[in-house]
Amino acid sequence: MNNEIILKTEKLNKIYLRGEEKVWALKDIDLTIKRGEFVSILGPSGSGKTTLLNLLSGFDKPTSGKIIFLNKDISLLEEKELQKIRSKYIGFIFQTFLLFPNLTVYENIVLPFYFNKKKINKEKIYEIIEKLSLTHRLKHRPSQLSGGEQQRVAIARALVIEPLVIFADEPTGNLDSENAFNIFKIFENLSKEGYTLVVVTHNWELISKFNVRKINLKDGRII
Amino acid sequence: MFILIIKNLLRRKIRTLLTIFGIAIAIFLLFSLLTFNQGYKNSLVKELDLLGVHMLAVPKGCPYEAASLIVHGGIIPKYLKEEDLEIVKKIPEVEIATPIFLAQLVEDDRISIIYGIDIESYQKVKKYWKVKGRFFENNENDKIVIGSDIAFQEKLTVGDEVYFKKIDKVYQVVGILEYTGGQDDGFYFLPLKEVQRIFNKEKQITAIGIKVKDLEKVDEVIRKLEEIPDLQIVTMTQVLGTILNLIGQANSLIFTIIILALFISSLGVINTMLISVFERRREIGLLKVIGANNWDIIKLLFLETLILIILGALLGIVLTISGNKFIETFIKGIIIHSPKKIEFNFDWKIATTIFLYSLTIAILASIYPIFKAINLRPMETIRSSDE
Repeated sequence: MNNEIILKTEKLNKIYLRGEEKVWALKDIDLTIKRGEFVSILGPSGSGKTTLLNLLSGFDKPTSGKIIFLNKDISLLEEKELQKIRSKYIGFIFQTFLLFPNLTVYENIVLPFYFNKKKINKEKIYEIIEKLSLTHRLKHRPSQLSGGEQQRVAIARALVIEPLVIFADEPTGNLDSENAFNIFKIFENLSKEGYTLVVVTHNWELISKFNVRKINLKDGRII
Repeated sequence: MFILIIKNLLRRKIRTLLTIFGIAIAIFLLFSLLTFNQGYKNSLVKELDLLGVHMLAVPKGCPYEAASLIVHGGIIPKYLKEEDLEIVKKIPEVEIATPIFLAQLVEDDRISIIYGIDIESYQKVKKYWKVKGRFFENNENDKIVIGSDIAFQEKLTVGDEVYFKKIDKVYQVVGILEYTGGQDDGFYFLPLKEVQRIFNKEKQITAIGIKVKDLEKVDEVIRKLEEIPDLQIVTMTQVLGTILNLIGQANSLIFTIIILALFISSLGVINTMLISVFERRREIGLLKVIGANNWDIIKLLFLETLILIILGALLGIVLTISGNKFIETFIKGIIIHSPKKIEFNFDWKIATTIFLYSLTIAILASIYPIFKAINLRPMETIRSSDE
């Protein structure tokens, strides 16, 4: 990890309207994430974890405040520019893996290249595939894989674009404890390699086994 | 991206096939109608040419129906007198005037179309006729000439005898017409006097076939002919126009049904695409998350729709080409004024029109599903599937 700040929020607020009532989803969030950091956003249901993740990844706009990514306030950017940033610099991992059932493992992994106009770096891709122990599974369909393997394919898909930040939303929610541990182990290793990881989870027990920076949310505030 | 489209279509094989088939049937109907319309007109023109006369004089009544029956065979309940023929012959601009007596013999298992003709004048009209054997003389009341289809169907050769039970008379086949490609192939030709005798209509005829010396004087001839009482003139152009008009009216109805069929199949495509978008909203959300922009989503869905439509259109065209015999039989079965053989000519203009039409349908059918897809909020669709 170095000291380069790649993601920063200043006085970030998000208010939803429920009828005429204002609901503070996030309140005055000040956050700084450095390159190579392994950050987990923790908190109970409704604490604002997902709202924060949506704002950090540019999928939602704050009511007020700034989100600085690569020295730009992304809350001011148009969707077209945001899409470019996401496709170049951000990888995503989800709870349900979200693999295309009709594509092979390899096709799923290289899917981002169909859209982000980057040239496929086969050497890098195979290096990632090997690192995630998926070499023997490349021609299989997702339905032929275990949950842990499917999530490793999703991680590979996020990694192939060589992102600056990887956002993971409850990545172990559908896995047993052994596979969940393995996935966090992979995250830890990626962090050591210089990848920045922001992981939303409510799995305190698992987090406690790793050297992770914890951001605890409660009622939309960092505590 | 293409692999994504193809694999998605293959993922729901039955639905994809049914959609393609629905489009194919609609295109098949449209392509058949357009192609056969053209073929029908060409065949009818050719057939009227084969008649060899410029106009027909028929009894007053429904002249076009009468003219059409003379071309295709049938019964006309009104008659002209033989004296009318003599008057027509005296018009200087008339080159040939030939009497025709047309009748049907309906027996247990067959309907025979009998053409009573004056062989000398009729041969001048049908210069292209070739006969195996010989023609009868006008006074040979027990000799018959038959069309090639009759000879084939009844297995008759020159010298054989034909028996008509209804009139209890046997005729000897003295000649068989070589294939003409027209309705003549299906007629029995007898001397005029003999047919008048059979049907007890002496000195009466059904029509007079008229050929003029100079086509530019057709109007003048018609004017003179119409001065003859009880006689009405129908030119071949009018017959063609009337039959095409009759067909046109039927076509309008069929066309409306086909347009409806196409509209319904378009709804089928829209439905398929909408279901596809709904089922894949998570995937579309994910594609946006991993870098697909709206334009990529539009391309993806539009190409999927286009592939469905193009495959459907191609299948429809193949069905039309391979099934043209069946369509011809079907059309001849439902249209009474149908030519003996309807030409089927593949027309690139029609095929191009169909393709352009299909393309328009593809665009229209993909608009709404695309609109729905690009307005999906990726994280929400992904999240909703996680919960």
